[in-house]
Order: sequence, then C-alpha cells, then structure tokens
Amino acid sequence: MKLADAFGFGVMALTGARSRTWLMLLAMAIGVASVVVLTALGEGARRYVANEFSSLGSHLIIVIPGKVETTGETPPMVGGTARDLTLEDALAVERSSAIRLIAPLTLGAAPISYKQRERDITVMGSTAALMPVRNLELARGKFLPEADPTRENAIAVIGDKLKKELFGNKRALGEWVRIHDRRFRVIGILKPLGESLGMDMGDIAIVPVASAQSLFNTEGLFRVLVQAEGREAVPRAKQAVIDIIKKRHDDEEDITVITQDALLSTFDGIFRSLTYTVSGIASISLAVAGILIMNVMLVSVSQRTAEIGLLKALGGRREEIMRLFLIEAGLLSAAGSAIGIAIAYSGIWIMGQLYPEFPLIIPLWSLAAALGISLFTGLLFGILPARRAARLDPVVALAGR
Amino acid sequence: MIRLEQINRSFEVGDETVHALRDVDLDLATGDYISIMGPSGSGKSTLLNILGLLDQPDSGHYYLDGTDTTTLNETDQAVARRDNIGFVFQSFHLIPRLTAAQNVELPLILAGIDPNQRSERVTRALELMGLTDRAKHRPDQLSGGQRQRVAIARATIMQPALLLADEPTGNLDKHSGDEVIQTLEQLNSQGITLVVVTHDPDIGGRAARTIRMVDGAIVGNHPRPPADGTP
Repeated sequence: MKLADAFGFGVMALTGARSRTWLMLLAMAIGVASVVVLTALGEGARRYVANEFSSLGSHLIIVIPGKVETTGETPPMVGGTARDLTLEDALAVERSSAIRLIAPLTLGAAPISYKQRERDITVMGSTAALMPVRNLELARGKFLPEADPTRENAIAVIGDKLKKELFGNKRALGEWVRIHDRRFRVIGILKPLGESLGMDMGDIAIVPVASAQSLFNTEGLFRVLVQAEGREAVPRAKQAVIDIIKKRHDDEEDITVITQDALLSTFDGIFRSLTYTVSGIASISLAVAGILIMNVMLVSVSQRTAEIGLLKALGGRREEIMRLFLIEAGLLSAAGSAIGIAIAYSGIWIMGQLYPEFPLIIPLWSLAAALGISLFTGLLFGILPARRAARLDPVVALAGR
Repeated sequence: MIRLEQINRSFEVGDETVHALRDVDLDLATGDYISIMGPSGSGKSTLLNILGLLDQPDSGHYYLDGTDTTTLNETDQAVARRDNIGFVFQSFHLIPRLTAAQNVELPLILAGIDPNQRSERVTRALELMGLTDRAKHRPDQLSGGQRQRVAIARATIMQPALLLADEPTGNLDKHSGDEVIQTLEQLNSQGITLVVVTHDPDIGGRAARTIRMVDGAIVGNHPRPPADGTP
C-alpha cells in the first residue's frame, strides 16, 4: 500500500465519521492552544520585566549603603552599623576610568505647595547626571545644570502629573513653589514616562542633591547610580566602586553593589522557569486529549471490525492495518494542533488589542513543543487501538462478532 | 491447483470441543466450479475460510499452486490472499463511506498499484458488471444485486485464480440472486476457479461438482449428472 493512499484512506475514514472526528479535533486543539497561549503569557511577563529593567538605563550599577548579606550567617552582635554613603564618597567614585557618570540620590517625602494648592510628594536630590543615567526626558524647560554638587541651588524639575495638579493649564516654568519650608523655582518639566520600577516619575520633584540634603537634614545618600563606560566595563566599574568606598570607609565593605545585569538575569530566570512550569501544566491537557483520542479510536476500531476483517480478507497485512490506524491518529493530532495554533494566535491577537503595552509573543520553541507533544501523544495513544485492529482474527472480524 | 490433505480444525465452545473439519481431503483443478452444501454447523464455512487462508487448520496440509500454505507466515498468507483469492460475502462487506468505484479500487490500493492504472482497471471492472453509471454511488444508494456485483468486481479486480463465494445470494431476492450466480458462472467460464458455499439446492446443483458435508466431514463428492437435454 502506498503511503499517499494510506493517508487518503485515513482522511476518508475521518471525514466519514464527522462528529467523532470533531470531538477529537476539539480536544487536541484545546490542549495545543492552552500550551501556546500560556507560554506566550509567561514569555510576555518575562519580556515585560526585562523592558522595565532596561528603562532604568544602560550599564547601570546601583550602590546601596549597608551590606546585605545573603550567606545566612548570624549578624555580629557589636558594631557593623552601616556608615552613611556620603556625597564625597560618590564624587570619589567618579574618578575611576571604568565609570562614565555618577548620579547621587537622596530621597524624601515632603509637602509641595503653590499658592493654595498643596501635595505630598517624593523629593529626589540629584545632579545633572541623573538625566542620562535614568534616561529621563524633558517636556519643557531645562534639567538641573552642571554645577558643583555640593552647592545648594533653589531650583526644581517637576513631574508632569505634579505640574498638572499644581498649575493646571497655567505656565509653570519660572514659578516659585514651596517645598517644606524652602522656596524653589521650577526650571523644567519631565516628559510622562509612566512608572519605572514602582516609582511614579510623574509625581516627583527633582532638586540639587545638596539642597535635598539640607532639606531633609541628612548627610547620607539613599543610592548612588553609577553608569559604567560600557557593557564590558560593568564588572571593572563594580570592583572600582567597592575598592574606592572600602578605602574611604576604613577598609570596611559596608555597601551593596547591584548591577543591572545581575538583577535582570535573576528575574529572567524566575520568569523563564515560571513559563516552563505553566506550559508544563498546560501540556497535561494534551495528555488528556491523547487519552480521549485513544478511547474514541478504540470505539472506532470496534465499530469498524467488519471493515478491518474485509481489509484483511483483501490481503491487507497486519502492519498495513496498524499503519492505517496510526495515520488516522496522526492526522487527528496534526489537524487538531493546526486548529489549536490558529485559536492561540487569534487569542493572542485579541489580548494584544486589549493590552497593547504587554508584549505578547508566541515563542517558536513553544509552537514546536506543542506540535511535537500533540503528535507524540496522538501516536502513542493511537498505538493501542491500532494494534487491536491489526490483531483481529479476520474470520471473527468478518462475522462482525 | 488446490489440494487439501487431512485437514482438521476444531474450536473450543465452552467446555466442548467442536470438530468443524475432520480429515478433509479435497482436490481442485484450475477452472473447476464446485459447490459446498450441507446443514448449518456442518463446517462448510470453516472449509471456505481455510481455502481462503483466513483460517489455519490445526493439522493437515493445504497446497495452493504447489505451495504448502500451512508453512507460510501471516504476512505471506495476506499477500497470497491478495494476489490469488477473491472473496464474495453474503452481506457484501462494502465500506459504507466509500463509493462503488472506491470499494472496487481497495484491493489495488492495498497492492500498491499506481493510481492511473487503478482507475483504468476499476472502470473496466465496473463496466463488466454493468455498473458504469453507478460508479459514484455509495452502497446505501444501490440495490442488493448491484451491491453484490460491486463486491464481485472488487473480488476479481486483482484477477485471482480462485473465487470464493459464501452464500452469495443469501441476502438477495430470486431475480438478483440469479443474476449474481450467472455473473459468477460467466467468470468461471473465463477460467477462474469458483467455489460456492450455499444451502440452496437450486444453486448448489448448478455447479459441476457438489460436495456435501455433515459434521465436518465430506460425505458426498458428486459430479453433476449430465444435463437432461432430451425431453
């Protein structure tokens, strides 16, 4: 029997029993579609987080005061109080050749008011370098000017949301606002950027770092953002930061240095395993579809006993009959997968229309995996009915018993 | 062409052993026309199944064209069935979802014959059976006699040497039955060896030789009495 004829015969047999065929196709399609959609969701979540991190800025190193130990040792009973990370520390770090820019960061909450309106907001103290380091963009005006970071200056850059709330549609540039008990002149307004790692950049005011320090009466910095010379320079820059600060802090390593890559790869790993888990769970539905195919094929074999007997009487060999039924199972799986993939693509498209900011992409490996698993289960669970058909005694089968 | 030697076949039915065939010997020459008759349970269908290689004897030898088929494995037996033996069944055994032409084509497909050659042979076979205008009809759109003629076309499309018919007229009215028998006899006159199992004495009596069976044994092997030509 030629292979093309065997396929033709399988197609005829499947189209001859419509409802049975549709039932099996549906089961396979749901299985495949759920694997593909869930994988796309997991992959989308991973990409979303990765995008969030890259919006932080490139080649970024974050320096945090205090040592975060992850070794699980009991902390020492005496000493070990973290030294403040000061502006001088930050400026010292900038001298390393591996480092392009640093942006010291002081953070605090304070009321801001303009005429009768008052809001509680986050005040960030930093330098001109914050703009390139954090990829900030201005809607209007200027950012903090290049100046001696240790000098106070009564100027502020505000977020777009804050501008609307305080000034409405009126001009904000050049106006004086009051933060806590000091007056600042608005020199720039940020472009709407949305949220960046949980901090609403629309609802902040950025002032020179020295002004913020005296505003909150603190010497310590909240963070130092360091931009390395390039991607390759990141490890060198990290080491330089540690060396310089350690020297300045009496040989005590009391800072934590986080590179963006490390953070990114951690989250990447988490989301990747999440995706695998979810698609693994979804592939259980494929196994269920396989079992359904087996059951329905077994029913089909017993309903077609006389036909199998006839095929044997006409000279059909055992392996030919086995192959016919396996081809039927394979065709069912393949057609079911095709329908499932179509369902998955349209589902993803609809979700993409509803949530355009969430990056939903069907990874190729998930398509291949879903197809592979469905064909595999279809054939695996097709073996039992096919063997039963092939082993029928022709005399008994022809008698229809 | 066919030689059965001391064929025995028994079945277990409950606790009992039923001897369907006891020490059956039979010789058939090419072009023979025999009928096998006997009451139900006499073993005539079992004999036909053994002749058709659908069933294997417990003991004895079956030579088909000089080959001892009892030594063949299942695959070789299937091939021997395909190439040498045609079956006509009482209940036709047409596949309901396939058209008449597709049913006739089935043995050619199983034999792996080229598609162009197939359609030519199917057309010719249907033409011989007078079914050209029924080629695209499904079995449920055909009369009983037409169905049996489709089955005969299918049984002969591989040009087998041996045609086995198991109660070929059992599900047909007198008129269609006669037509079917005439068709079979016409094939026999062209050289095919024809074996008909029946319990209808009218049909059994038409064969050149009639074999009578009782309880699994051949009790009579009669050539047909010369036709009564004189008034």
